[in-house]
This record gives sequence, structure tokens and C-alpha cells, in this order.
Amino acid sequence: MRAVVVVAHPNPHSFGQAIAATARTALAERGHDVTVLDLYAEGFQTAMTLAERHAYHGDHPIIDPMVARHAAIVQQAEVLVFVYPTWWSTVPAILKGWLERVMVPGVSFVFDERRRVRPGLTNIRRLVGISTYGAPWPLVKAINDNGRRTLLRALRLNTGLRTRRSWLALYKTDRSTPAQRAAFLRRVDRKLRSL
Amino acid sequence: MRVYAVYCHPDPSSFTSVVRQRAVDTLRTAGHEVRSSDLYADGFEPTMSATEVSEYLDARPPSPEISSYCDSLTWCEALVLVYPTWWSGQPAMLTGWLDRVLVRGVAWELSESGSRVTGRLGNVRRLVTITTHGSPRYINLLEGETGRRVIGRALRVLCHRRARTIWLSLYNIDRATAEQRHAFLDRVERRLQRL
Repeated sequence: MRAVVVVAHPNPHSFGQAIAATARTALAERGHDVTVLDLYAEGFQTAMTLAERHAYHGDHPIIDPMVARHAAIVQQAEVLVFVYPTWWSTVPAILKGWLERVMVPGVSFVFDERRRVRPGLTNIRRLVGISTYGAPWPLVKAINDNGRRTLLRALRLNTGLRTRRSWLALYKTDRSTPAQRAAFLRRVDRKLRSL
Repeated sequence: MRVYAVYCHPDPSSFTSVVRQRAVDTLRTAGHEVRSSDLYADGFEPTMSATEVSEYLDARPPSPEISSYCDSLTWCEALVLVYPTWWSGQPAMLTGWLDRVLVRGVAWELSESGSRVTGRLGNVRRLVTITTHGSPRYINLLEGETGRRVIGRALRVLCHRRARTIWLSLYNIDRATAEQRHAFLDRVERRLQRL
């Protein structure tokens, strides 16, 4: 299958990048065709611009060539993996901006003849989210796991209900031991080998 | 009351901009002292840098880039956020503002042992959100109302113990009539008059 790994972590030596590398290797070794979209490394622009906002409901909502390339890659993929640290219970701004700027009308959803919204990414068969949290599990659940909901619910509305979803989370990351981190990487590896 | 209104929309001719104007006018007429930020007009950089992430847990004064926002946050008794809901949450620009401005020493503090986070925005007694949604209410419920939870829970726990959250939203704005928009503006005015 064609797989895309979207990574949102600024530090190239971070644990988040180690997770992304593990995911990429696991997918490639299982014979999948993997593309990594490292948003920070590519210098992806976070905020939607005024020109993009004006173009949003028109026939050509994509202006930025980088956005067009990302959209084309996602439209070809069967597996979509997100790797990011959870901040303030949700995705980092750069990943939120990626959703806003890449997942535009015509890509993530289409309008049918009655102007109803219909899924545009039915090519995506597996949706995987991998996130590290500062907070412990009970607090994450009490606050509402907003990043997870954004990807597994809001985005899934655009891939269709047949898309299978997986979520891998490491809680209390800041105080995790090297052994716990290593165990988490093994979990990521196992999960992505068994898609 | 001291009120800090944070507005986020790329388009100065948007309905959200009208909402912001009405909100600020109402608050001033009611005798409140109002400070206001316009994140797009400020050219705010919403992407957290590698340095900001790696030094996140360190105790240090806010950088000059964010210090005026931090100052208004700790000055206000009511925080008012005005934005359009995209992908069921705050626009990336506002997500990034939360990522970068809610720093240690301003919005939260870490205990000696490093195991407990406590809120420091006890000055905030009213947390007001005014937003518009492109989609109808049931879609937002399906998606998990993540924007509402980010503010009502993740941000709320940093504020005063008895802080009141006020949520004013207009659903299905893409199909709203002029009357519905006016009715919403009137609703915003009525609610803010008795802040």
C-alpha cells in the first residue's frame, strides 16, 4: 500500500522524530511505499493566508505549490499516519494548519449535486495517530482528547466509515523512562507492521 | 472589568470581523476597559520553534515576541476569543497563539518535584468564546466539538477556580440568512452587556 507519514515536531533529535523513523522503517520493511511529510523540516506555513481564505470556496482553493504536492500525495495514499506531540489537548498549530490548508474542498471532501458534503478521501483505508502527551491518561480523558478526535472523527468523516482507525499514545512523556520509551517504539513498530 | 479580546481571522471584511467590532463596542459601552489583539494584523508567528519546544519546561521570562500578549493575559479579568471554527477547532493561527503564549510562569507553573502543573491565570473569571461554524451543529457533535473542549477544559483549568465559560456560536454560517446573522450579533451584544 502507499503510506504517508505526516510528522509535526520541530526538533530533529526529538523522541517524536524517533517515532516517525520507527514508523517509516516498519512500513517500508513490510513493502509499503512510504512518503514522509515532515512539516517543520519542509518549512510548511502554518496559518491560512487571506488569499487562500478567499480561494477556499472557489474552483482552485490551493495556491501554494507545497500544499498542492501534499494534497496530491495524500490523494494517492491508502495509509495515513500522523505523528505529533499533543499540546493543549490538541494537535500543534502546524498540523492544524496542514488540515486547514491541504484538506480543502475538492481534496478531503466534495460537494454532490445537492451541495451536500461527501467524503473525498475514500482512498484512505487506514488512519493511524501516534501522539506523545505530557499529561497522564485520566487528565487527557477529562480534558477531552481533542487531537485524537480531530483526526479520528473529523478527518474520518472525509475518508469514509470503512477506514480503520488506530491510536497509539504515550502519556506522561516528560517523565517517562528510557525503557518506557523503547517499549513505546516497539509498540509503534508492531502496530505498523500489522496494518 | 478588564477585558482582553483576541481576534483571529485573515479577512478584515469577514463576518467574524463584524462580530469582533460589535463585541468590543458593547464591552466599551458597558464601561469595561478593553484591550484587543488582532493576530493576523499583528503578523503573529503561530509556529512554535525548536528552541521554544526544547526549553518549554524551563522557568524564564517570556520572549519579547510574546511578552505583550502575556502581559494582557495576566492583566485581564475576562478573556474573549473571537474566531471562525475550522476543522471543528480554533484556526491554526489561534492554536499557535495558545501553543506559544501560554508559557510557564504566565499561564502555569510546575511544582518543585516537577510532577504537578498548576494554573496561574486565576485573574481570569470569565472565559468567553464567540465563533462561527461552517457546518451544522450535528456535524460538530459528531466531530467531538474539539474547539469548545480546548477552551472549556484545557484553557479553563488554568483560570480562576470559579471562572465562568460563556459560549456563543453560530452554526451553519455558510447557509445563514442576513436575519440569522443579525440575530447572532444581537445575541452577542445582549450576552456581553451582562458580563
